[in-house]
Amino acid sequence: MNGPVIHDAYSLPVNDNVNPYVFSVDLDGQWFLQKGKMIAYYGQIAFQGVGLGHLERLVARSFHSPLHAADWVVAEGRGRMLLADRAFDVNSYDLDDGNLTIRSGNLLAFQPSLSLKQSIVPGFLTLIGTGTFVAASNGPVVFMEPPIRVDPQALVGWADCPSPCHHYDHHYMRGFLGGVRAHTGFGGTSGEEHQFEFTGAGTVLLQSSEMLLEERPVGVKGDTGS
Amino acid sequence: MAHFRLQGSKVLAVDLAGEAVKAKKGSMVAYDGEMTFKKKTGGGEGLRGLVTRRITGEHMAVMEVRGQGTCYFADRAREVNLVALDGEKLFVEASNLLCADEALRTGTTFTGLRGSAQGNGLFTTTVEGTGQAAILSEGTAVVLRVGPQTPLQVDPGAYVAHSGNLTQHFQSGVNFRSFIGEGSGEAFQIRFEGEGLVYVQPYERDTIGGEL
Repeated sequence: MNGPVIHDAYSLPVNDNVNPYVFSVDLDGQWFLQKGKMIAYYGQIAFQGVGLGHLERLVARSFHSPLHAADWVVAEGRGRMLLADRAFDVNSYDLDDGNLTIRSGNLLAFQPSLSLKQSIVPGFLTLIGTGTFVAASNGPVVFMEPPIRVDPQALVGWADCPSPCHHYDHHYMRGFLGGVRAHTGFGGTSGEEHQFEFTGAGTVLLQSSEMLLEERPVGVKGDTGS
Repeated sequence: MAHFRLQGSKVLAVDLAGEAVKAKKGSMVAYDGEMTFKKKTGGGEGLRGLVTRRITGEHMAVMEVRGQGTCYFADRAREVNLVALDGEKLFVEASNLLCADEALRTGTTFTGLRGSAQGNGLFTTTVEGTGQAAILSEGTAVVLRVGPQTPLQVDPGAYVAHSGNLTQHFQSGVNFRSFIGEGSGEAFQIRFEGEGLVYVQPYERDTIGGEL
């Protein structure tokens, strides 16, 4: 019988996937981490809420999202740390002096060399700089190039794209009935009247499912247990 | 001895030639050949085990499957992980145990604070002996080895099972900031020390302390 692969503190991958659902971080220093995404670790690692005393300089440099501060922690120390999120696919991405905007619930962790900002699109976060981040998606991520219109639920994020905007079907927009439908759903809707539209040069990241990670209220302190 | 293999990642196939296996009740999805299914009173240890499980809530709805051919088991499209035991003891929640060889003894044991932190109660099921077993996880489980120099910390919500000679402590990083809402969200871990294997799933169950 061929048993499962057994990992130990030394054989775990260095900053790579263990399987499609688990990512192993070789920590030596600090990483930002969304709360509750760590499933196990070897070594000496401490977890501190964002906004504590000695982390002030780090936060000043790479964390600019007060609304999300309650959802993030800093992992500090040395060791191997495993990240996962509800058995969704996880992957790491490297940014090289770039920018990428991602749905806030899909971002698991990032290196402090990146800077996290709130996107002007509600519910999204923008990472700027050079470094690695880890993100989750329901099903593998598909990379598309603009011009493209995407379903809002399938959108994971986008990189280097100017002006994402809303797009509504003409039929949907037109006339009184359209207005009634829009507000009540009476008369039937296809569920596909509204898309996000991307133009210009860049990359759009889609997931192969319209199921989102559960949206959590942001900026509410103490709603995630301890 | 019954031969366990995976049919894809979510279905367990067991080849039987007259032997029997213990399986989670209702988990049979198909079979090939001649099989008989018999309800069992529970997870072993005779009458004492029955009473223990009744008191501890570690119920095992178990059936005995005996026959010639291949029997297929699955449970809510959860991932199946094979575990080969060679005299060790496997600790697993009754709800995560899909199937075990008839040669393996099952029982109930006290887990203390770790169990209650998982929201699974204070007791867990043990599987002991030589033979194969299959356990369930949400998403493919990762098997992590614990050695004398490399203790392991696990999030209680992601813990599935462990085997070998391990001691576990409940580790808490709770401080006053936890109570003013600046907690780290990773305040509770189970620390495993000794020698053995720990099965961790890429999914965090709701635990008694909320999302830990």
